Amino acid sequence: MAEKTVCISQQQSKPIKILKWKVREGITIPIGRLLLLYDFAEPKKAEQRKLKSTKAGTVYKIIAREGDTVKPGETLLELKACCHPTIMNDMCAECGTDLRKDDITGTASVPMVHSIPDLKVSEEVGRADCDRLIKDRKLVLLVDLDQTLIHTTNDNIPPNIKDVHHFQLYGPNSPWYHTRLRPGTHKFLNNIYDYYELHICTFGARNYAHTIAMFLDPDQKIFSNRILSRDECFDPTSKKANLKALFPCGDDMVCIIDDREDVWSHALNLIHVKPYHFFQHTGDINAPPGLDKHENDNKAGVDLTKIKEKVVLNTQDMKDQEIQITNGTREENVKILKAESEKDDNNRLFLIIKGWFLKGEAGLSVKLTRTRAPRKNKKSLPTTRVVKKNLTRWRREVTKGDNSKRNETPSAKNCDSDASTEKTVEAEQDRNAEAQSVEPAKVNNVAKTEEATPPKPSKDPAQEAANPEDGLIEIDDPDDYLVYLEEILKRIHVEFYEHYDKMESGGVPDLKKVIPLVRGNVLRGCRLAFSGLVPTHIKLEQSKAYQVARSLGATVTQDLEDATTHLVAVRPGTAKVNAGRRKRNLRIVTPDWLWCCAERWEHADEKIFPLSGKGSKNRHPPPHCSSPDHAASCADQGAPAPRKRTPSGRFMDTINPLMSFSSADIADMDKEVEDILDDETDSSEEEEGPPKERDVANNSSSSDEDLSADYPRGYKRRRAEEDDEAADDYNSTEDESPSVKFRRGESVDDVLDIDRDSDRDDAQDSDGSVDPPDEVDDGEWNMMGAALEREFLSNN
Amino acid sequence: MFYHISLEHEILLHPQYFGPQLLEKVKTKLYTEVEGTCTGKYGFVIAVTTIDSIGAGLILPGQGFVVYPVKYKAIVFRPFKGEVLDAVVRQVNKVGMFAEIGPLSCFISHHSIPAEMEFCPNVNPQCYKTKDEDVVIHAEGRDKA
Repeated sequence: MAEKTVCISQQQSKPIKILKWKVREGITIPIGRLLLLYDFAEPKKAEQRKLKSTKAGTVYKIIAREGDTVKPGETLLELKACCHPTIMNDMCAECGTDLRKDDITGTASVPMVHSIPDLKVSEEVGRADCDRLIKDRKLVLLVDLDQTLIHTTNDNIPPNIKDVHHFQLYGPNSPWYHTRLRPGTHKFLNNIYDYYELHICTFGARNYAHTIAMFLDPDQKIFSNRILSRDECFDPTSKKANLKALFPCGDDMVCIIDDREDVWSHALNLIHVKPYHFFQHTGDINAPPGLDKHENDNKAGVDLTKIKEKVVLNTQDMKDQEIQITNGTREENVKILKAESEKDDNNRLFLIIKGWFLKGEAGLSVKLTRTRAPRKNKKSLPTTRVVKKNLTRWRREVTKGDNSKRNETPSAKNCDSDASTEKTVEAEQDRNAEAQSVEPAKVNNVAKTEEATPPKPSKDPAQEAANPEDGLIEIDDPDDYLVYLEEILKRIHVEFYEHYDKMESGGVPDLKKVIPLVRGNVLRGCRLAFSGLVPTHIKLEQSKAYQVARSLGATVTQDLEDATTHLVAVRPGTAKVNAGRRKRNLRIVTPDWLWCCAERWEHADEKIFPLSGKGSKNRHPPPHCSSPDHAASCADQGAPAPRKRTPSGRFMDTINPLMSFSSADIADMDKEVEDILDDETDSSEEEEGPPKERDVANNSSSSDEDLSADYPRGYKRRRAEEDDEAADDYNSTEDESPSVKFRRGESVDDVLDIDRDSDRDDAQDSDGSVDPPDEVDDGEWNMMGAALEREFLSNN
Repeated sequence: MFYHISLEHEILLHPQYFGPQLLEKVKTKLYTEVEGTCTGKYGFVIAVTTIDSIGAGLILPGQGFVVYPVKYKAIVFRPFKGEVLDAVVRQVNKVGMFAEIGPLSCFISHHSIPAEMEFCPNVNPQCYKTKDEDVVIHAEGRDKA
């Protein structure tokens, strides 16, 4: 801080005698402050006069003493000029100087108060924060809202779902928002509050953020005013830029929880949270630009809520089994699915949605009662296809249930858990169920088909009347991620302060180092071998699974060794599995085990993830199980510039420029892509991909496969052929997406023909230039095709 | 400080309002245009009390708009330097506090808060208080500034 000293001198024409100083050294004085009482040296009449300050600043030194006589022009006191450490709207908050007038540059540059960007303080003011946190033994936690703690939709939903808050932001005629808090949010916040100073950091608008904060923290105890919203964000696509401002003395003590890595540039102190998805057809409504809210659609796990459910089942009469669906969206308030299952061949699944108290916690249980496995109408509608395609999200698992029908009475709402619930097919996210999931894709397919197609059931107004609003629908939401998150955060806190106590110099450990360390303890000591997890053309070290395992502290070897503790196998019957069966100390688990460990940051019980006959199809880690080590290293490597969205935001437009290139150009470009793909690891595609693609990948493993070119398409097909499992089959045969079709040369939409033509060009008339490997551009085109397809379908 | 003073304002009226309700329209337009505004000289116009006169309208050539000079009395709120006012504290943080004096929101730097009052970030709500907790400043409370 450049300290300027100014002097205040005697301005009178005659010498004065100082009677009494009214200021002392070290205090700050504004302009006009009374400095001293004086009188002229030779007064005609004794009189006390006041001398007021003409400048602002801090009194540095009082030169003239009381009783002294000061001649005109002599110095009275020295002031340190105000360095303007706090500035509000171009006005210094300490001396009141208007900083627009002069060329004074204040030292204040940090908008430290989240909600008031006009107020800036100097870095020194911010520094005190760090000490205070250490004193209280707290850390800073930046909390994202959408899909981390809450899920908000602006679709129409039934008004009577429990634990959903409804609000309007912009007056009476503005759209309604519906927010569902993640289960256990209040408990989580209250517990974590003792260890962390919590800040909200969201891309939502200010009043949105504040409204949500009121739901989360009605007393304003937890978040107080520490809310950073889109309005204050410097960069519309990244929250990273604000970090420096909020924490001028470094983000060493800052921990972040968010469901998106990209907005934090894959920071090391980020805990990538499993996205919370409750309302179907709504992704993150406050996603950064370039992503519309539907970007993350369709892959919602739990959310069968889209069919606004209100289920009344008749206990006694099986034939009158009915599903009553309250549908707010289409203004058909109540729809009744009257399905007499014995008669109706086409039917199918009963969606029985029923709420009950689970251990005193309200939640949502979505049940599927399956009467007959329908396969007929699978290819009926394009929408169906899309929905199906998106079904394979790994965490969406359905425990296998029997095919018998269930009866539930409305009164079942309040029972704890009746026996029959166990027999129903439960759609749930609980990873514990994953291992047992045998044919989740199929069941889901059917379920989604039901959902996605407009309800066929007959409407029965009478029934509607008969079914008054009888209170709130309770929904058992199996999401329990916050419990693990709390555990993770507490461990980080303990680890941080252990480090801090060890550091004698009084330095502060860096959470960016501590957090990976905590992560690395999860599987410490485990030696893993993979089977069927890493494609043969990819090096083990470059596979995503390898990096996830390494980030958790495990050692991974190519082959089975004596010391190997775990064999992570995709399906039974491989050489490694067979060899592994003979080893006593070896545990054979599905990849889900690894993903589960990565998600919860704990050594999950291997027993839950045995390698069953069907194997597992979750070869790719869920997007939130990232390995930040790797992410960071890749980010440093100067990844190719992300593809920009066109102004119109339509994917189609991104293709057209390509048409002006000659096939040689395109081949060159492909070569470039190929080079990049060779250089970087396969799994680094998360970083290479433009943000929007990454985000698509973020949320469903199926779209991950299809869109992000995670593995080239060709590879997948090969695999699928080898694989005689139905689960993989559907990828190539059942999944009749236009992109697949056009690659086979079937007629698709006109626009898609463009794709196909260029595709062929690459392969055939590339003017003798290097032929790109089919896989590479295949994957690329496939990605485009899928995006196009989505666009078309959304238009429809 | 509050004043009840005479002010003038010009109302620009679109020709579509020419008709029997013309003067009514001028009045309502005055209310909407004037109340809640703020000028450096008179401060905040809180409320128009009486409309003294609506002068002769002048049609703007070429546009058809008519301009009415209106004289009215209004209650204005004009804060002065050195004035002591009641304020409602809205937010307290380490940098200072934010308070509202009716329409006027103001920021008081912690430099301007008496040095003996310390910021306590860990109590709820956050506050400035003296050692013996005689005087506590926290949000939503009442404060003399």
